[in-house]
Amino acid sequence: MPSGTPAPPKRGAPREATLNQALDGRGTPRMPLSQSRELAREAYERLALPSWRRSGFWTTSLERFELDSLTNRQQEPDDARPAILADAPAAGVLVQRDSSVVYTELSSELAAQGVILCSLEEAAQDHSELFERYYLRRLLLDRHKLEAASAAFWSGGAFLYVPPELRVAEPFQIVYEISEGQTAQYAHTLAIGDRGSEMRLREYGIAGETDGPALHAGQFELYLEDNARCRLAQLTDWGVGEVHDVSTSVVEVARDAYCHWLPSLLGGALIRHHDEIVVAGPGGDMAFRGLLFSERDEHFDVFAVDLHETGPSGGDVHWRGAATGRSRASFEGLIKINQGAQRSHTYLQFHSMLLSRDAELDAIPSVLVGADDVSASHGGTVGELDELLIFYMQSRGLPRPQAVRVIVEGFFEPLIGQLEDPHLERLVRERIGGKLHAAAEDIERYALAR
Amino acid sequence: MAELEIRNLHVRTEEHEILRGVDLTVRSGELHALLGPNGSGKSTLANTIMGHPSYEVTEGQILYDGEELNELEPHERAKLGLFLAFQYPVAVPGVSVANFLRMAINALREEPIKVKQFGAELDHAVRLLDVDRAFTARHLNDGFSGGEKKRAEILQMAMLRPQIAVLDETDSGLDVDALRTVAEGVAKLHREQGIGALIITHYQRILDYIRPQFVHVMIDGRVVLDGGPELVERIERDGYDPIREEVGARA
Repeated sequence: MPSGTPAPPKRGAPREATLNQALDGRGTPRMPLSQSRELAREAYERLALPSWRRSGFWTTSLERFELDSLTNRQQEPDDARPAILADAPAAGVLVQRDSSVVYTELSSELAAQGVILCSLEEAAQDHSELFERYYLRRLLLDRHKLEAASAAFWSGGAFLYVPPELRVAEPFQIVYEISEGQTAQYAHTLAIGDRGSEMRLREYGIAGETDGPALHAGQFELYLEDNARCRLAQLTDWGVGEVHDVSTSVVEVARDAYCHWLPSLLGGALIRHHDEIVVAGPGGDMAFRGLLFSERDEHFDVFAVDLHETGPSGGDVHWRGAATGRSRASFEGLIKINQGAQRSHTYLQFHSMLLSRDAELDAIPSVLVGADDVSASHGGTVGELDELLIFYMQSRGLPRPQAVRVIVEGFFEPLIGQLEDPHLERLVRERIGGKLHAAAEDIERYALAR
Repeated sequence: MAELEIRNLHVRTEEHEILRGVDLTVRSGELHALLGPNGSGKSTLANTIMGHPSYEVTEGQILYDGEELNELEPHERAKLGLFLAFQYPVAVPGVSVANFLRMAINALREEPIKVKQFGAELDHAVRLLDVDRAFTARHLNDGFSGGEKKRAEILQMAMLRPQIAVLDETDSGLDVDALRTVAEGVAKLHREQGIGALIITHYQRILDYIRPQFVHVMIDGRVVLDGGPELVERIERDGYDPIREEVGARA
């Protein structure tokens, strides 16, 4: 049932359907790290575990999450990259296992050119000027208990700085890994692309075989200064254990800067992501892509914000989601164009493919426009497996499960192809294939029942 | 030498009985044309031969080299050597023509095809169908024009090397140039690969370019008349009504 016709922009309508709130330009005032940690700790003690409700039909709740049973886990340094990176090309690598940064790698050539890649703890000490200028500039520390916990208790962390006019071809790879259950991982990535720089950045969230609940409460901030360009991809795949991931990511795009941002949500018992991209300078432009694929009893909740603080600016938000098993996935997309952000043009689309009778997949787009010389609209499609297409492929010799796999991969392909990273593309395709294989019977039952 | 034999085939959908006792035999190397007015059951026959799940065989048999196909999945029929060129080819989003072809070829064979050999065969097929090599990088049927879709069907046929192909109104919706290319492609595959084909058509235009040895006329779910090329001329001249009356008189 395609409904691709763009809706006309709405002016300042109240948004009753949701309790999600954009960061909307808010940040934390500059202060010493010890002080922000202390403020966050006070908030942590004051606040209850969060829950996000949307009038009646959607709740993401961590109210019963046994946070107190989890521990920070220090880990010894490692002398090799994690398996997920294998021999992937990299300008630099940083790996945090549980609560410790265990591995870093940066070529001496890039270091000599002024690139910094180190733990955030180190950056707070050794690069305090940069750290203080950017840290929490567009993030808050007290909207809910887990955000406060992350801001209060993070350890390790990742810091990346690419100096002005430097172009780095290979991607920087940052990995957060949870090694076992009962772990609380408080993560923080701060990345800066200075004026006219160009980089590619990858952030992975992965887990070993975890037994019992675990938590990843992450904060991610990327600042692209004037004319800087970045291709950012995040891969979140906590596997089949009970990892709960409550994270906020924010990307700021300054004057004439550009970001291509592509999160892939591919596994986790509960994922609650608030991803916000802010076009903050005239001429700023971005493409915000994302894919999510939930299975079994997984619960994914994405709140994606495309904020235009000034014009002229461009935006293009395109997400795709699929669900099998009894999983639940919700995508809420918000376009917000601030007052005075004239000549901003943006479009939001979400396409979904439901693969099981018991799965649920919701998309809630909204548009808030405070300027009159703009274009902002949304569209999307809701799809299921097309039996005629399956027959077509079967008639060419493909067995039914392979045909289904081709359809679902093809559904995600417009996004996967944009990763422009063979290593990451292979990981995403394999994971999608694995999910389809695991859910094959379920998918078949659903197809035949229709 | 392959043989597709249809014996007393009765087929229904949820609502109607469409085929009411079809008998027809096609061997590799033979060109057959199946003519008939709209709604006579031609497309149902094509889809049933390939195993479309919406059509239920209530009586009769489809045999391939003596083996009954009735219970086989479509991909198993393809493996035996059958091919269906669709009347309305379906878009396969996100999969390029070349990738789809390689997947299909590999699904049909034991050993995966070598990259070099695949490239050479693709070059050959692309020339045969008068399409650009860049065409094979596009997503299959996604945004294709009617003519491109039909060319892509015949391109697949050339690459998958079936023994017997059913072409379901491959000529409909084509302009003269596209029709000539497609028809010459089919004729060439018949000459070069010795395939047998059942060419289903409503308009007969394709038969200006391909001379079938056998012509069958289907009316109301039955093959009511078998003959040679002279039947095509007769139908062009007189239409189906005289045949319908004749058959009605016989029944």
